[in-house]
Amino acid sequence: MALVTERIKTEVKEIVYDFFADECEVNKSEISDQTNIINDLDGDSLMFLELIEIFKKKYALEIELKTIGKYAIKNPVETIGQLIDMQILIIEHENRILELV
Amino acid sequence: MARRVVVTGMGIVSSLGLNLESNWNRLVAGQSGVKPITLFDASMNQTRIAAELPAEFEEHYRKYIKKRAASQMTRVTKMCIVAAKDAVKHAGIDFELYDKTRCSVIIGVVNTGNSSVEKNTTPQNTVFKSMTNAMSAWISLEYQLLGPNFAINTACASSANAMAFGYDMIHNNQADIIIAGGADSIINKEEIQGFNALYALSINNDPPEKASKPFSVDRDGFIIGEGAGVIILESEESANRRGATIYAELAGYGISSEGYNIMAPMKDGKGMAYTIEKALKSTGISKEEVDYINAHGTSTELNDRYETLAIKQVFGEQAYNIPISSSKSMLGHTIGAAGTIEGIVTILSIYHDIVTPTINLDHPDPDLDLDYIPNTSRSKKVQVALSNSFGFGGHNATLVFRKY
Repeated sequence: MALVTERIKTEVKEIVYDFFADECEVNKSEISDQTNIINDLDGDSLMFLELIEIFKKKYALEIELKTIGKYAIKNPVETIGQLIDMQILIIEHENRILELV
Repeated sequence: MARRVVVTGMGIVSSLGLNLESNWNRLVAGQSGVKPITLFDASMNQTRIAAELPAEFEEHYRKYIKKRAASQMTRVTKMCIVAAKDAVKHAGIDFELYDKTRCSVIIGVVNTGNSSVEKNTTPQNTVFKSMTNAMSAWISLEYQLLGPNFAINTACASSANAMAFGYDMIHNNQADIIIAGGADSIINKEEIQGFNALYALSINNDPPEKASKPFSVDRDGFIIGEGAGVIILESEESANRRGATIYAELAGYGISSEGYNIMAPMKDGKGMAYTIEKALKSTGISKEEVDYINAHGTSTELNDRYETLAIKQVFGEQAYNIPISSSKSMLGHTIGAAGTIEGIVTILSIYHDIVTPTINLDHPDPDLDLDYIPNTSRSKKVQVALSNSFGFGGHNATLVFRKY
């Protein structure tokens, strides 16, 4: 289990906000933790996968997509805040994230 | 109850421009879109010229497609989306006012253009870029349409077939509005080499604008073009109810398979003639009523010879009185998009009473003695016009348009 510091949490939030602002062509100031990814940003599920790839590389995570998929089925993500929380859990627990279910 | 099918909107992107108006103006002016290839280094290819879209397209499409969606599309798919959105806008349709289960999309697609010239293909987007149903799906998504959306591949007749099936769906009361069309680009090293190996392409590289010369004695093959054409087919009832401008009626069509050869048309144009006959029969329009034919006119030895023979077989002496022209002399051969792009040229010929020329017809083939509208467009009352499309594999299609 990795220690997720406040610095990492801030970093994750910054990356997620920047990613959606860039991909969805919206001003970053228009995004909040309550923003709905599909309804408000016209986003798609692939974005979630792309972000996971970004974090896997950045933090050298050992986690399989199918593991995340199983977790996400039971813990669906709709908002930016929920997505950030899940990314932090993935960084923290990697493949053991399913033990949280 | 069989219903009449009308055309209420059109969109084109091609080498002659990125909108309908510039395309029509330049076609009437008899201008060529053929230039040296810039999409890749063609210096080692036998054919080094093509009718590419203007470079401005790379900026132009951004006004139509969001970055996120664009990253999942090929350049060809983007062409199709731009033409489709222009066509919908041209038609003035607000899909929110329609029963979306009766609005469909049918796109002729030979390939999506996910070739060696396509940029920014990644493992994450390669499937979306390669799906031949991507264009119809993206258009359907754009307007959240609930009628069937699908792709048709009949080679160079693909988008003509798309319009034909669209006609059937409206005619048979299965739909009220069809977004029909096609998009294509095979301007890449591998496919040009492939067509060169079949001796299908012109190798008269200099000057580029003179290379595509249908019906000429010195024609030596076609020139590849790229682009997209999309039309809005609508039931007459729907169009009249909303007071739409009707550009022409799609009166009927003929499609057929030659069962003869994977590349060559049936000898003496028999398959082509059968298709034209079938198209006319579907409408009840007499041969004497046909005022113009937009030919397949590829500038290959066989097509132009056999298409001429086919027209003579169908129309007899009347063939000499019908102006015929090849848009490919200006646009090159846009393959999967050709049926719709040339259909649009035909519709606009009816709407404006102007027939566009076959350019580069300076040395007519003495065996091909019909009126091919050489080099200069012509004012002519056009009540009924045909548009021919013939594809590798023996796929034939003739569309019949009538002034409304």
